[in-house]
Amino acid sequence: MLGTGRNGPGRLGGRTRAYARFLRDAFVVNLKATLEYRVNFIMQFFGMMLNNAAFAAFWLVLIGRTGAVGGYGFSDVMLIWALVSTSFGLAHVVFGNVRQLGRIIMEGGLDVYLLQPKDAWINVLASRTVVSAWGDLAYGFIVLALMNGTNLERLALFTALAVPGALIFAATFAAAESLTFFMGNSSAVSSALTEFMLSFSLYPEGIYGHGMRWILYSIVPSGFVAFMPLRVFRSLDWGLVPLLYLVAAAYVGLSYWLFRAGLRRYESGNRMDARV
Amino acid sequence: MPAIIARDLSKTFKTKVRPSGRLAALRSLVKPEYRDVRAVKGVSFEIDDGELVAFLGPNGAGKSTTIKMLMGILRPTGGSATVLGLDPAEDRVELSRYVGAVFGQKSQLWFHLPPSDSFRLLGSIYEIDDDDRRWREAELIERFGLAPYWDVPVRKLSLGERIRCELAASLLPSPVALFLDEPTIGLDVVAKREIRQLLAEAARVDDTTIFMTSHDMGDIEKVCKRAIIIHHGEVVVDESMKALKRRSLSRKYVGVRYASPVDLELPGLSPVKRTPTAASFEVDTSRHSLAEVVRALASRGDLEDITVEDEPLENVIAAIYETRSGAEAQALGLNASKGAGAARAGEAASA
Amino acid sequence: MRSRCYAIAASTSMRERAAYPGNFIGSMFTYALFVFIFSRVWAGAYAGASEIAGYTMRMAVWYFIVAEVPSFGFGRFFWTLSRDMKNGQIAYLLARPYDYVGYNFAEKYGGSLVEAGVILVEGLLVGILLVGPPPLAGGAPSLAGGAGVAAEASRALLVGLSLLLAGALNYFLQASIAMTAFWLEENEAFFWIFQKLTLVVGTLIPIEFLPTAAATLARLTPFPYLSYAPARIMVAYSPGEAWSLVAAQALWLVLAAALARIVFSFGSRRLSVNGG
Repeated sequence: MLGTGRNGPGRLGGRTRAYARFLRDAFVVNLKATLEYRVNFIMQFFGMMLNNAAFAAFWLVLIGRTGAVGGYGFSDVMLIWALVSTSFGLAHVVFGNVRQLGRIIMEGGLDVYLLQPKDAWINVLASRTVVSAWGDLAYGFIVLALMNGTNLERLALFTALAVPGALIFAATFAAAESLTFFMGNSSAVSSALTEFMLSFSLYPEGIYGHGMRWILYSIVPSGFVAFMPLRVFRSLDWGLVPLLYLVAAAYVGLSYWLFRAGLRRYESGNRMDARV
Repeated sequence: MPAIIARDLSKTFKTKVRPSGRLAALRSLVKPEYRDVRAVKGVSFEIDDGELVAFLGPNGAGKSTTIKMLMGILRPTGGSATVLGLDPAEDRVELSRYVGAVFGQKSQLWFHLPPSDSFRLLGSIYEIDDDDRRWREAELIERFGLAPYWDVPVRKLSLGERIRCELAASLLPSPVALFLDEPTIGLDVVAKREIRQLLAEAARVDDTTIFMTSHDMGDIEKVCKRAIIIHHGEVVVDESMKALKRRSLSRKYVGVRYASPVDLELPGLSPVKRTPTAASFEVDTSRHSLAEVVRALASRGDLEDITVEDEPLENVIAAIYETRSGAEAQALGLNASKGAGAARAGEAASA
Repeated sequence: MRSRCYAIAASTSMRERAAYPGNFIGSMFTYALFVFIFSRVWAGAYAGASEIAGYTMRMAVWYFIVAEVPSFGFGRFFWTLSRDMKNGQIAYLLARPYDYVGYNFAEKYGGSLVEAGVILVEGLLVGILLVGPPPLAGGAPSLAGGAGVAAEASRALLVGLSLLLAGALNYFLQASIAMTAFWLEENEAFFWIFQKLTLVVGTLIPIEFLPTAAATLARLTPFPYLSYAPARIMVAYSPGEAWSLVAAQALWLVLAAALARIVFSFGSRRLSVNGG
């Protein structure tokens, strides 16, 4: 009856356009939802700036006493904070549900997204924004504006580095949350991973031993959201940027694959009403 | 070709057995114990294009599980489903273009934004041209009377207004079939009536196939033409609304009130409730002629009031729900509503 | 007996916390992660120096371990108190026949002692694993024998006392901030400022590391007595300094408790005028 003419050749461009339109509209809707909570947003922005300022003060004092720590000077530390903050913020602005995914799976909330003709993974992730993430997104640019030697090229490079960073953040968090399909409740794993990734990313790469670095370029990819982008940014080496996009694509692909595999086991919250 | 076909559809959930005691909790971390819960055990039915079907059953009967399998949210463990010619589990995304859904508890509207924004986003989710969308929106705004809420954030709407918007949103992509899970839950009488009217109208105007679950008999009587009842994971009744109502017609409640005390001895019929001047009777019309009973009662004294009522549909369905197994419920299909009828007789008489 | 009522409130809330040790796992994990990362940061900072501002690396790590205990054990009073105030619970609590400030202190502070104790024990274990036992109380190892044992014992006692005072001071300061909710709808900003100042002044880094002017100024505020005092006693024990730190803590505690009472008496009067 129906179901003819699916995804033939020539549909690909149409599909991409349809998804681009969807992401744009989801973004606009999320932006409007954010504006509904202006006061809340300003408060959170203030809190975030305060927190970051506290750590900046710590680094200023420490590096003032000792010189570079783990190979990083004060501006290096500020730059990894900038990169991590903007990537993390961008990930949560566009894919605001990324750290709710496990709860959504557990409570049967995927239903709404499965009933709509868009890929459930993108649909669920992009259907929300995190108000405070706008502040994190802005923070990196604020640091950049305050920093000596910022020019248009640096600004462009910074932005180009934040995009794969955001994708890697989103993919990693989504993967941890997708474990809910298999474990029933993965909140412990995913909150641990979130903390690992944020904490490790915000300190100089040089303080970690070799064993740790293997982890930081694989399962907790702080290396790809902070340390490697910092090197690229420092050396203005555009040549390495495509490599970061490839890495991001790999993380996204793996995360997507994990979600699809899990979806086959989805129980739509019925587990709750199934009585034992 | 039928719009919806379910053949021997079944679903078994693995449920972790909750451990008791501290050591057991530790053990279950290492090696959890599972138990199979058979939520749906081989359900079959066919629904034609444009039919309005009520899908009934007590809590935990497997209604939601079945509906979710038909929509591709859950994978069946056994059997097969075909909806609009597609296999929901395999072609979920394709199917979702033609199927709308209203789940009373789960919203597809953005809570903090007015419906207009949600509709715009839904337009891009369903890949509807902006022009087409505006045209369709205008129609739905008029039909559903949404103009006053169109630019009000959903969180500020009443539940009735919200459900009306939900229903309109699910009709935005002009679905061929509409699934509703408890659409009127929690609504007041007026809002319920409005939703029912809108549903019936949607079915008439767009010729939409409607498949809905509800615990509200009003929804079912006013909107649906056919009822499928599942219980203990099996279909126990599948018949037209008319046939289901006919079951209740075999039992009537007759209430009488006289100006002065009377003697009310009727052969083979004793009152379920009795005062010196009034009484109520439960009449099994297969054993007594209603006309004779009424005549007899009228002849006993100076009649002030007489009421004759059908057995409520609710009692018929309650009797089916109260059974303990699928087989028992099916057996009941032959002489429906005995137990519940007697239980409710007193209530009806006092009314 | 009023005091009996408070003792029961405290012990009940302690037993309630102890009944769900699983609730601590999250903060224990975060604490261990922090201690690990900071041990690496200090290792990096001490790469070129054996002593900074009078601290060796081992002292700096042990300082951090103890200074973070109040943040984890006593850092959330504001939120629990704010929750009571914002959900209208306070109207009921005020109607009960006890002193609101005192009763709440007994209940909330009592409960927090369990978590603080757990974190402290964890800190001792993690510290020994990472950098070995804390520096000796007597300073030089030559002070062995009876005097050494006595010094160790009095240090342990004073660290414990100082931590308890830090917790109580923390409570009354946070309670004073939380009770601004009698007047203000959004009072979280005040707490954030308080929290971040605590972080910078003596938690992340010893006061001695701060520039002289800043350190002098800091010592005039209550912030050093929230985390610096017990940590300092732990890593650089001398009876004279320890007792003066504890005395200063006690003084600030009296002031903070008085402040909380004043805020409460004005605030509750306002509440009874305006209604909940």
